[in-house]
This record gives sequence, C-alpha cells and structure tokens, in this order.
Amino acid sequence: MINDNLLRRSAGRHGWKGLIFLAFLWLAALLWILPVLWMISTSLKPETMVMTLVPQWIPPVVTLENYVRALQKAPIMLWFYNSSVMAVCGTLLVLLVDAMAAYSFARIRFAGSKLLFIITLCTMMVPSQVTLIPLYLLFNRFNLLNTFWVVILPRASAAIGVFMLRQFFLGVPVELEDAVRIDGCSRYGIFWRIILPLARPALAALGIFTFVWSWNDYLWPLITLSSKEMYTLPIGIATLVGYFARDYGMLMAGAIIASIPTLIVFLFFQREFIQGITTSGLKG
Amino acid sequence: MNGAYGRSRRFAWLEKDNVIGYVFLAPFLIFLFLFMILPIFQGLYMSFFDWNALTPPAFVGLGNFQTMFGEVDFWSSLWHTVYFVIISTLPLVGLGLAIALGLNRSFRGKTIARGLFFFPYLLTVSVVATIWRWVLQEHFGLLNYYLGKLGAASLKWLGDPNLAMISIALATLWWTVGFNVVVFLAALQEIPEQLYEAARIDGATPWQLFRHITLPQLQTSLTFVFITQIIASFQVFGQVNVMTGGGPFGSTRTLVQYIYEQGFKYLKMGYASAVAYLLFAIMFVCTALQWKLFSNDNDE
Repeated sequence: MINDNLLRRSAGRHGWKGLIFLAFLWLAALLWILPVLWMISTSLKPETMVMTLVPQWIPPVVTLENYVRALQKAPIMLWFYNSSVMAVCGTLLVLLVDAMAAYSFARIRFAGSKLLFIITLCTMMVPSQVTLIPLYLLFNRFNLLNTFWVVILPRASAAIGVFMLRQFFLGVPVELEDAVRIDGCSRYGIFWRIILPLARPALAALGIFTFVWSWNDYLWPLITLSSKEMYTLPIGIATLVGYFARDYGMLMAGAIIASIPTLIVFLFFQREFIQGITTSGLKG
Repeated sequence: MNGAYGRSRRFAWLEKDNVIGYVFLAPFLIFLFLFMILPIFQGLYMSFFDWNALTPPAFVGLGNFQTMFGEVDFWSSLWHTVYFVIISTLPLVGLGLAIALGLNRSFRGKTIARGLFFFPYLLTVSVVATIWRWVLQEHFGLLNYYLGKLGAASLKWLGDPNLAMISIALATLWWTVGFNVVVFLAALQEIPEQLYEAARIDGATPWQLFRHITLPQLQTSLTFVFITQIIASFQVFGQVNVMTGGGPFGSTRTLVQYIYEQGFKYLKMGYASAVAYLLFAIMFVCTALQWKLFSNDNDE
C-alpha cells in the first residue's frame, strides 16, 4: 500500500520526475513477468477453466491435476533425469578440461603455445551449424547417436571456458606459485593445491553458466536423440507441444517442471552467474 | 622461448615445461580437434559433394552452391533470416540499453526489478515458445484479449504469414533482452561518477550527459552487444521450430531451419553443409563490416 506519507517521502528522495520514472519502470518490469504469471495461473486451473474468453488471473479453483497429468502422460521424470545427467556430467567435464588447458595457456611456456591459443580463439568464431552435420556423421560412425555421450562430449570442445579461465589465471600473482615451487612442489601440485582453490569464483561462474546453458540446449539434442526414452526436457516439452497442442494446462505444468533446476541454480548462484555473463561478455 | 630460461637450446623440445604444457593441454586439444577442427574442415569438404548418407558421396564441385542460388526456398529463407535480424536486433539492443539505464539508478527493490527482466533468459527455448503460443493464441490468448479491450481486432499472430515472424521476434525480445541488460549494466557501473559531476557543474542537461559521456563510454559494450546480437539472430532456430515449424506457408523458415530440413529431413547432407558455410560467410562479413564501422567511429 502506498500511503500519502510514503509517497511524499519518496518524492523528496527522487523528485516527482523520478517518481514517474520509477512508476514507469516498475510497470515495465511487471509487464515483463506477466507471461510467466499467466503460465503459473494456467498450470493451476482445472482443464475446463483453461480456455475462457475473459482471462482469469486468479484460478477460481486451484488444482495440481495438470501436473499429475503431465507426469502421467509423458515420461517427464525420465527426461528430468536425462537432462540432469547430461548437464551435470557435461559441466564437470568442461570444468576439468578447460581449467587444465587454461592453466597451460596462462602459465606454462612451451613450443607452439601461442599458435595453439590463436587457433583456439579462432574456433570461437565458427557457428555451430558448420560442424552440425559432420559431428552428427562422426557420432553416427561410432554408433553413439541417441546416447548420453553424444550430448556430453562435444561440449568440452568449446573454447569460451578456456578463454575465461585463462583471463582469470593471468591475474593470479606468479610469486605465489614461485614460492611453492621453491619448496619443491610440482606443476601438478601447484595446479591442484594452489591454482584450482584460488580459481573457485571463476570455476563457479563457468560451471553455473555451463550448467544452465547445457540444461537449455536445444538444436544438438534434437538432432542426436531419437528415442523418447533418451530425450532431454527441452526436447520432450517441444514434442508435447505437437501432441497436446490444445492442452495448455498440461503444457504449462510441464514447462514449469522443466524450468525449476535453472531457476534454483540461479537463485543460489546469482552473483556468479551474472559475473559469468559479464566476464564472458565484455572481454570475449 | 626456451632461451629465457638460459639453458641449453639443443634439447629445447625436451625441456620439462614443454611436456607438462602439452600434458595439461592434451584433453582439451583432443576434444578441440575431434569435435571442432576436424568437423569444420569436413563440413567444407562435404559441401562439394552430393551426399545423402545412403549412397556413396559424389563430387559435384560448386554444384551445391549453384543449386542453392537457384532454389526459391533458399532465397526466401535467407530473406526471412535477414528480416528477423533487422526486426529483432534494434529492439534487443535499444530496449536493452533503455532498461539498463533505468535500472542503473538507485531505488528500493532494484535487485528485484533487475531479476524480473532477467528471469526469462533462464527459461529454455521450448518453454519460451510454449508460453508464447499460449499468450498469442487467437481466441483465448492474453494478447488478443487486451488488444481487444483497446479496440483492436483479433489477430492470428502465428497463423498469419505477415505476423508470424514478428511474433517470433517478440518472443525472442522477451526471452533474451535480459542478457543484454546485464552486459550494459556492468558497463554503466564502470563509468566514473566524477565525469558526470564535472559535467553537471558545467550545466549539462541529462540528454547531454547521455550523449557526451554515457554513449562514448559504452562504445565497447555497445559494439560487443550489437555484433553478438546480430550473430545470434542469424542463427535463430528453436523459437521457429517450436512456435511455427517454419510455417505458415514457409513464412518463418530461416536459414538454420532450412539447413535442418535439408540435412535431416531430406538427408541432403552435402547441400545442407553448403548452406551452413554460406551462413558462416554472411555472419563473418557482417562482423567484419561492423568492426570496421565501429572502429572508424572511434577514430573521430
């Protein structure tokens, strides 16, 4: 409730112009979230009340039947499991592979390092459509289509993570490593005991980013996963749109289930996620 | 390089760091080679072949490219893609900047307001497409209802060839603008407050502050967002695939949708590779042009 007093105080702080501006901003923010509220509202309505000519924002009767129906009519929990395995394994693989490569590029002098780094950077400019068909044929040759491998493995070839982590490692003072090195610590020891713990914020940012991105990936799983039992949630939801085109209550329930993990990850790791966007964004 | 260590150069390749460097790099290099570099060249190679995955590939030279330029569907999907790039990029950059400018002020509940704009970015594309199919539904959709209240006629958002692409752009704007907002916000916060204070003392108007301080200071991030946005828009696929499947009457078929159909529906793998390489070439030229354009601006 906005009472007179609060209004006057706010006006004092922002000025009347500022207040109008704020009202406009909040209106826009509310407008932005309306489709999501409408999705939630639809998912909680009984089937017969979904299609009404006048939209009812507050469901007259709240029910979970859409969720039950979604879980019964489609193997949503199986898709949920598939998505989880692929996103978690993919993320762990990317973190390990990228951290090792980034450390090598940032800290170790070796013949060909510069050239390899330039090649790595160049691959970032190639759109995924170019490698789509050859990759598909490659996995087909090894009989790995329609398995977890086909989705997990190619993720580790993206250079963006190597680039991000390398930037971070370059900022770690060399003296720290030198000191441990004099004490007889090997490169591997330095990497595991000094660099990785120090890089936790950067690893967290990359990890969360990779997880959300993997969970939401669409084109590659669509092409490589052919059986219903292997689908990820995004692919499964897309097929439901085809089968149950008019059952909006159930579709909205399915969509909400599919969105929960990335939302939880975001709520817990907001700062790291935003950091991931800005570091990969501005310096990419 | 090894000379810096002041040791014998004769066995430089045996120097310990050389080995360790490659040991650390090996896993990534293997992935990069197998799943990136090899397919990049293989795709180019394939684009010169007629290859349907069933019969042996036949060399056709530039035949695939010739076929492409003679196909009506290719030209229409190229045009749809360019059209989508045009109608999506400007709002995504412009509105993104406007929202970021608004959110950059300090007010109560700032974090929540930022979250509301960013939230859709966390949703997967098929969820976004599902929501918008519902919102844009002709008879029971939210948008038509409220437009009706304002006196507008009901529109077939996804069923009308003239509106379908605009609908997809609308959903895309809603879905991804939050990403640009975050990038702009980060850049805005880097601008030193003293610049504004000094200008205010000289009596600068808000518009002058924006024109002569904010915009120049945002140059790098604006260039970045603009280029990445155009590249992303050229690659639009998921929204199209779930919302319209390229229809109605092929009016939303974009290049990636075309590649997908030719390669995986009609199994014309060589031809689809050729189209993919053409898409790459277009994106490359666009990026190069923009870099040139923006860096010229910088010199002035």
